[in-house]
Amino acid sequence: MKDSLVLLGRVPAHPDSRCWFLAWNPAGTLLASCGGDRRVRIWGTEGHQRTVRKVAWSPCGNYLASASFDATTCIWKKNQDDFECVNILEGHENEIKSVAWAPSGNLLATCSRDKSVWVWEVDEEDEYECVSVLNSHTQDVKHVVWHPSQELLASASYDDTVKLYREEEDDWVCCATLEGHESTVWSLAFDPSGQRLASCSDDRTVRIWRQYLPGNEQGVVCSGSDPSWKCICTLSGFHSRTIYDVAWCQLTGALATACGDDAIRVFEEDPGSDPQQPTFSLTAHLPQAHSQDVNCVAWNPKEQGLLASCSDDGEVAFWKYQRPEGL
Amino acid sequence: MASPFSGALQLTDLDDFIGPSQECIKPIKVDKTLGSGVAKIHIEDDGSYFQVSQDGGTRKLEKAKISLDDCLACSGCVTSAETVLITQQSHEELRKVLDANKTLAPGQQRLIVISVSPQSRASLAVRFQLNPTDTARKLTAFFKKLGAHYVFDTAFSRNFSLLESQREFVRRFRAQTDSKQALPVLTSACPGWICYAEKTHGNSIIPYVSTARSPQQVMGSLVKDFFARQQCVTPDKIYHVTVMPCYDKKLEASRPDFFSQEHQTRDVDCVVTTGEVLKLLEEEGVSLSELEPAPLDSLCSSVSAQEPISHRGGGSGGYLEHVFRHAARELFGIHVDEITYKPLRNKDFQEVMLESEGRVLLHFAVAYGFRNIQNLVQKLKRGRCPYHYVEVMACPAGCLNGGGQLKAPDAPDKQLLQDVERLYGMVRTEAPEDVPGVQELYGHWLHGEGSTQADRLLHTSYHAVEKASSGLSIRW
Repeated sequence: MKDSLVLLGRVPAHPDSRCWFLAWNPAGTLLASCGGDRRVRIWGTEGHQRTVRKVAWSPCGNYLASASFDATTCIWKKNQDDFECVNILEGHENEIKSVAWAPSGNLLATCSRDKSVWVWEVDEEDEYECVSVLNSHTQDVKHVVWHPSQELLASASYDDTVKLYREEEDDWVCCATLEGHESTVWSLAFDPSGQRLASCSDDRTVRIWRQYLPGNEQGVVCSGSDPSWKCICTLSGFHSRTIYDVAWCQLTGALATACGDDAIRVFEEDPGSDPQQPTFSLTAHLPQAHSQDVNCVAWNPKEQGLLASCSDDGEVAFWKYQRPEGL
Repeated sequence: MASPFSGALQLTDLDDFIGPSQECIKPIKVDKTLGSGVAKIHIEDDGSYFQVSQDGGTRKLEKAKISLDDCLACSGCVTSAETVLITQQSHEELRKVLDANKTLAPGQQRLIVISVSPQSRASLAVRFQLNPTDTARKLTAFFKKLGAHYVFDTAFSRNFSLLESQREFVRRFRAQTDSKQALPVLTSACPGWICYAEKTHGNSIIPYVSTARSPQQVMGSLVKDFFARQQCVTPDKIYHVTVMPCYDKKLEASRPDFFSQEHQTRDVDCVVTTGEVLKLLEEEGVSLSELEPAPLDSLCSSVSAQEPISHRGGGSGGYLEHVFRHAARELFGIHVDEITYKPLRNKDFQEVMLESEGRVLLHFAVAYGFRNIQNLVQKLKRGRCPYHYVEVMACPAGCLNGGGQLKAPDAPDKQLLQDVERLYGMVRTEAPEDVPGVQELYGHWLHGEGSTQADRLLHTSYHAVEKASSGLSIRW
């Protein structure tokens, strides 16, 4: 199983510092990394006052948003080979932990240690306005991610829950709370169809949640017109430390995890498993993928099996994943 | 328990996380005792702390107390426990004062004055299914039964707030060419907004805020200055309580600017919310509808209104409407009757324009709720605010929807709000300058509009809160 994940290369992306997060651009040609050295770096085959914690590319690939502990989010616009900062979004009270673009490209979500999730709207003149301030979580919010095709937002928090939000009239509301993790939920990833959501936690498990619409065949109870989310699978016993990130490959459906035990793991759903109670098998496990905590894993959106990872050791690593024979 | 303070206040750094970069400004005085060496702390079953010294002697330790005043001065927080924040002001505190007062001889007693906001009255009216006049009269009866001597309506003090706001706007509009910060004028009646502006934006926003006092604090001036003189008592002999639709008003009453050093008394001693009044009613085992109505009190002895009077312009005071109409008349000689609101991004953000011959003469807006305040402030900071005047309130839908208003457990919130709005709107309106007693008071209490007295008693100022920087702050 060690050979199913092969190292392609390493770069000292953020020397003497931590590398916190990665994002591939939609075309799969550039990787943005960010780190404790306050830098955002773009890697290809081509500034903030404190740690830059996360970066996110817009769906069109022309903009990059960077979320920082300095409580601002910068919007960088691609200008030929260079990026220029075209907007600085202020308003959060303290460290911003995550930023994410909606698939439409018109909305942006940010979340912070101030326990709130903000939804921003951008107009044709690249002006951003706050559309909603959501105070549903009771603790630091670690991650936000949008559904791949709907305007549905998910957030993960130190309060051990995952919350989902949608638009209602002229405001956004929390439409579901997913409880089950026993500790901080660090990251989230939707599957390619958007029907399932994976969450990873300090409790060393990955949970898979499934959306059930009102009137569903399985008889899952829904309140009103909002769908219900149920935990249909828990991956436990595989990770020995906190799981900091989970990434769901939009091409193959493989799940990669970044763990505090310095390892990278890949899981795949067993063929023929019951969609309501799926089983996943560990198909790659690379201990010592990095020399310190792995903070982020990101699947390339165009090239199958190409995985990037980054770590507290300041390095970015590139990997080739191949599903092992006979599995 | 979810925080009862407005959204704007909640996000203003009152959080439980004790980061090393945040320091509590409350100085802790340490009394040095000789030769004590190492002492142990023992916690009793009732939660009290005892220090046990080496010789076995025990000494009860005092609890560190945080009061509302401390909160206003601080940018970091030790605790956000709501019970701690409002320890000095609650319906229990009020009851204690009322009960204690009853036991005193008439010469020793304090004069108890209760000022009720029309928003709280509307909320109670819906709950007890009464009309506004009956609610006002029955509330008067109830408070007097508890031991209050006078019960007033803050709609009266609001007249002054509105008139001062009107005058201030016209003055600042005319001064535009001389001062970059003359416009826009941002309203000041909402303490949730003010606390947020002072702590988060400080001097980049403060210059734009109107200096007119809120109706609550104008009432404070009226009661502790005018009324005290009239009753021939010193201000500290009056205990002034206000009934308000939100908790943020408790913080406003605690501002040092509203404390008289000369008389060592606050303009408003205690604020209770509509919900707390309901608790008082429940504790007395009384339903408001069952009470015999009492005649209404009036601050001006020459006036005897047996019905409450209201203002046009909605449940948050009608600032935009009054200032707009007055400015249109004063600055352009245009008479405006009905005001048309144009909703923008959401229903809590609306604009109003005065146009003539294709030119925009006045451009006003209302911005309620934190997200709209955010957008307004960001626009202002970038020099992109197109408005001359903005009515800013921290709560979506304004004061009628304040955090201290009554909730209906079995009715949807939307319906309840509509009912409260309807009841609020039932009261007859009058222009502030026409309300009986107002001109009279400007004359013999304030010695004229724009006088030094008027400025001192009807206006206030704001203070940016410095963020404490500590050598311990971790640079991530």
